[in-house]
Amino acid sequence: MLKVENLHAGYGGAEVLNGVNLEVKAGTVVALIGANGAGKTTTMRAISGMVRPSKGRVLVEDLPVEGLAASRIARLGLAHSPEGRKVFGPLSVEDNLLLGAYRHLPHFLGFRSKAAADLKKVYDLFPRLEERREQLSGTLSGGEQQMLAIGRALMAQPKVVLLDEPSMGLAPVIVQEVFSIIRRLKEAGITLLLVEQFAKSALEVADYAYVMERGKIAVAGTPEELRKDERVLAAYLG
Amino acid sequence: MDTSVIIQIVVSGAFMGLVYALVAYGFQLTFATSKTINFGQGELVMLSAFFSLTLTRLGAPYWLMVPGGLLFGALLGLFVERAAVRLALEQKSEGWILLTIILGLLGFSSAENIWGRDDHPFPTPISSDPIHVVGVDITPLEISVAVGVLGIMGLIELFKRRTLLGKAFEAVSADRDAAELMGISSTRTVMLSYALSGAVAALAGILVAPITTVGPTMASALILKAFSVAVVAGLESGFGVVVVGLFLGGLENLASLYLGSGWREAPGLLLLILALALRPNGIFGKASIRKV
Repeated sequence: MLKVENLHAGYGGAEVLNGVNLEVKAGTVVALIGANGAGKTTTMRAISGMVRPSKGRVLVEDLPVEGLAASRIARLGLAHSPEGRKVFGPLSVEDNLLLGAYRHLPHFLGFRSKAAADLKKVYDLFPRLEERREQLSGTLSGGEQQMLAIGRALMAQPKVVLLDEPSMGLAPVIVQEVFSIIRRLKEAGITLLLVEQFAKSALEVADYAYVMERGKIAVAGTPEELRKDERVLAAYLG
Repeated sequence: MDTSVIIQIVVSGAFMGLVYALVAYGFQLTFATSKTINFGQGELVMLSAFFSLTLTRLGAPYWLMVPGGLLFGALLGLFVERAAVRLALEQKSEGWILLTIILGLLGFSSAENIWGRDDHPFPTPISSDPIHVVGVDITPLEISVAVGVLGIMGLIELFKRRTLLGKAFEAVSADRDAAELMGISSTRTVMLSYALSGAVAALAGILVAPITTVGPTMASALILKAFSVAVVAGLESGFGVVVVGLFLGGLENLASLYLGSGWREAPGLLLLILALALRPNGIFGKASIRKV
C-alpha cells in the first residue's frame, strides 16, 4: 500500500534522511521506532509532502507521489496526523472533522449530510468528541485533541494513515487509551504507519517494525524478532 | 452649535467610514490566509471604479455594471497574487511588500495613461435627494453604501461559516500546514482570498465613486484611512472594522467641522499611532501567542 525507497530529505541543505526504505502492506500496522533525532518525524513529513524529498521514491498504491504538494498527496488518500496534533484551534470539533473529509465532500453545500456516516463512525470511536462537537478545538485537553487529530485523519476514508507520536505529552492513562484506540483501528483493518517513543507499546500493536538510526533503517523485523535482537533490546526496550 | 447639525455631520461621516471598513476588510481577507496585504489596494479600488465607469459609458445598466466591476476587481486581485505575492511566499521572503507597492504605482500610471488625470463624475441611478429620518437627512446614495458594505461582508462571512470551502479558508488561516494535510491547497486558498479582496475593493470603488468622483487619486486618502481602521480594529475581526470605521468616519467630520477641513485626515493618523503604541494587535484582535 505504501512503499518508500531510498528516501533522502532534509532541511535547508542539512540532510536528515540518508536513504530510508520501508513498506507498509495493506491492512497492517507498522511501527517506526528509534531515538530522538533519528529522523522518524522527517520520514513521515517526507512521505506526506510536508518536506520535499531530495532523492528517492514514495509509492502510494504503486503511484509515485514524491515531489507532489502535500494537499495533492492527501487527496490521493494518505492521511497524516502530524506530530503535535495540529488541530484547527479556532474551529469547532465538528468542523475539524468535516475538514478531515475535505477530499471527498462537496465544497459548498450538502457536505454535512454526506459526512453523516463517517461522523457517526468517528463519534462511536470517540464518544467524548461527540459530547464536545460544538466546542472550539483549541480549548480541548491534550488527550482530546489527540483523539480529534486521529478522528480527523479517519474522516478522509484514507488508504493509509500516518500517526506521528500520538502519545506525545499525554498522561500515562491517556497514553493507554490512545493505544487501545490504535488496537481498535487495527481490528478495523486500517493500514497504519505509527511513529512512537513508547517502543514497547508500539511493538505490542505492530505487525512489523523498523528501527531508525541516524537517518536510516538500522533494523527491521516482526516484533518477536526485534524483541530477540540484543541491540534493539538494550537501546529501546530496556 | 445646534446638536442636530452635529448629529447630521457625524451620521454622514459614518457612512463614509463604512467604505473605510470595507477596504480594511479586504486587507483582513488576504492577511488571514497568507499574512500578506496588498499595499496597492487603493489603486485596485480606483482602477475598478474607472472600469465600472467605462462599462456605464458603454451603456451597461447599473445592475450589470456592478457585477462587471466586481469581476474586474477579482481578476485584478488574482493578478496581484500571481505577480507579487506567490513567489515571495514560496521563498518565504518579504518581497511582496515592495512588489505590491510597485504594482500599485504601475496601476496608477496606467490609469493616468488610459483615462487621463481628470476627475470624472460617476453617474448612478440612485438618488442623492435626502430623506428625513428621525431628525437626520439621509440620502438613498448613503443607504446604498451601507447596504452594499454590510451586504457583501455578510455574504462573505456567511460563506466562511456555512460552506466547507469557507471552513477550509478558516483552516488555512489557522494552520497552513495542517490544512494541506487535509487536502486543502493553500495556494488556491490564497488565490481565493485575493480574488475576494479584489472584489471587495471594487465594490468600495463603485459605492464611493458617486460621492468622490473618479480619478487616479480618488483612493489615496481612502486607503490610508482604511489602513488605520484595519490596524486599530485588528487584522482578524470583521465586526471590529465596521465599528472602528463608523467611529473614524464620524470623528473625521467632527474634526473638519471644529478644526477646519485641513484637519480631516488627522484623526485617522492619530488613531493609527495610538493603536500601534498601545494595542498593536488592535482593539478587537487577540494577542498573538507564538506556539513553540
